[in-house]
Amino acid sequence: MQLSGGASDALMTTDAMIVLKDISKTYKVGPSTVRAVEKVDLEIPRGQMVSIVGHSGSGKTTLLSLIGGLTKPSDGRVIIDDINIWTLSDKEMSQLRNEKIGFSFQFASLFPTLNAIDNVRLPATFGSKNESDHDRAIELLNLVGLEDRIYSYPGQLSGGEQRRVALARTLMNKPRLILADEPTGDLDEDTEADILEIFRTINGEGVTIVIVTHSRAVASQAQRMLRMHRGLLSEEEE
Amino acid sequence: MKRLGLLYLAAQNLRRKPFRSFVTIAIVALAAGTLFSATLLIGSVDRSLEVGMERLGADLLVVPEGYQESGQAALITGAPTSFYMDGSILDQVKTVPGVDQASPQLFIESMVSSQCCTGHVQLVGYDPSSDFVVSPWLRDNLQRTLSKDEVVIGSLILANKGEQVHFYGHDFDVAGVLDATGMGVDESVFMSLDTAYLMARESAQVAESPLDVKPGQISSVLVKMADGTNVDQLTQRIKTNVPGTTVITANELSRSVTDRISGFKRGFIAVDAIVWIMSLLTIAAIFSMIVNERQREIGLLRAMGSSRQFVFRLMLTEAVFLTAAGGIAGIFVGGAALFIFKAIITSSLGIPYLWPPVLTFVKLMAITMILAIVSGAVASLYPALSSSRLEPYAAIRRGE
Repeated sequence: MQLSGGASDALMTTDAMIVLKDISKTYKVGPSTVRAVEKVDLEIPRGQMVSIVGHSGSGKTTLLSLIGGLTKPSDGRVIIDDINIWTLSDKEMSQLRNEKIGFSFQFASLFPTLNAIDNVRLPATFGSKNESDHDRAIELLNLVGLEDRIYSYPGQLSGGEQRRVALARTLMNKPRLILADEPTGDLDEDTEADILEIFRTINGEGVTIVIVTHSRAVASQAQRMLRMHRGLLSEEEE
Repeated sequence: MKRLGLLYLAAQNLRRKPFRSFVTIAIVALAAGTLFSATLLIGSVDRSLEVGMERLGADLLVVPEGYQESGQAALITGAPTSFYMDGSILDQVKTVPGVDQASPQLFIESMVSSQCCTGHVQLVGYDPSSDFVVSPWLRDNLQRTLSKDEVVIGSLILANKGEQVHFYGHDFDVAGVLDATGMGVDESVFMSLDTAYLMARESAQVAESPLDVKPGQISSVLVKMADGTNVDQLTQRIKTNVPGTTVITANELSRSVTDRISGFKRGFIAVDAIVWIMSLLTIAAIFSMIVNERQREIGLLRAMGSSRQFVFRLMLTEAVFLTAAGGIAGIFVGGAALFIFKAIITSSLGIPYLWPPVLTFVKLMAITMILAIVSGAVASLYPALSSSRLEPYAAIRRGE
């Protein structure tokens, strides 16, 4: 695993789930330019759980969005599962996000007019898989311990329950990469432990996970810890 | 298990803000309803004129000087009227070059009193030997002429074939009911001239109030022109050769109606244009607001794998749902309003009215719906396009 430019293209196409090559992201804010991510090189092998820590505004979430193709880098290349994603059309990019990537956000992000099971099924709507999304959604709601709340609407669920539904939705299309932004922020200890346990389980099944967190406890669950500071990424020493 | 498709998601999104959805629907309904009902009204007036003129069957109507307006009113709306001229006028008219056929009619206004008459209507006496208005209908439908105690009635007279009606102390059998024309004919009762004179004569003895109609008097002469005759020239010739009369042409009748609704048409076009523009702007503003409010959701949808095209179609579908609902509501409310207030509208504007055939009705409904839907799509195009172009990460962050 290399942090700065050591990986060859051959390595990237064989072992790595994520390869970032000289990635930068700058924003224009009024007359000034903000450098959210600066010349980051990163390679994460398939099946690894990685945490990224750092202060607020250090560029963690931006980096996660760059990995997930939610924002276009100002410079550099993003390669996910051997695909240089910014060479894809919008349709292909959408398909990649739908089939390979599961996003978990720091807010519950449920759709208020859909009940729990429909929220979970939503990603399947955009996919081409023919398998029964209903059974899969039930299975996932069981996994997050909400088998008795499948027809509840977000307004009828507690904050912790909403986060569990959102996690079930993240897993709906069996993604090979999960990008989680503060997945346990604002949650009680029990719910946090449950969610981390689920992450460990799916990581054990070979799913690559990148978690952005403020929490040292959450970060320590990962096999590898990275630190963002003013847009620069560095390996965090244990 | 229901499918979470585009239509379902769009419908669910609209349920989220029911009042806003209702207001949007109401605005579109107002525009669509105005368009539908006013177009229906104008179309019905045109159809009524077409059918009514065909029923009238005459190119010109000669009436006593000074009675042009009441003559027109009687023909167009059936407003009862009485005016008389000497029967010799008929012979004078017949001699005017260019007159092919001429037939007299006698107009008698019935009384409001129920003791006197079955309703306040226009009684029309016609000459069976020369008539070309009622007689052809009798030939086709009764295969005979009317006897002295028989009448045929317009479609709006409250009686049926075989029933009796009562005018000036005289009972008449209803021999037939004429087809609806939307014009004055619908509110007229036709009897032969001889019967009308008899009724007038007997009224002194049997009626509550006697009729002052002298034998041989007539109210109008219906004229059919000879082929190749110029209507203006013939009108002029009649005015010159038959003093004390004036001429109403079929064109004048149509023009009179057209003039009456021209102000209405102009007003309608202005009002409807304003309402449509308002509804387009409102939809555009509402959907810009929706896109703004739902930036995070749009970002999430994109993160879950929905394409730009899906987001665009979702917004467009929501707009089309609202405008389609507005279109349906507008057609329903506009149609119902016209149905309920038809009598008031037609009498206040002094215009004839005849509901259009079902096919025309359906076509108008379809056009209104298409217009409403297209308007929704056009108005929401820019917001839908900008929503689909949002960068997912920026959308999620802005929505926080």
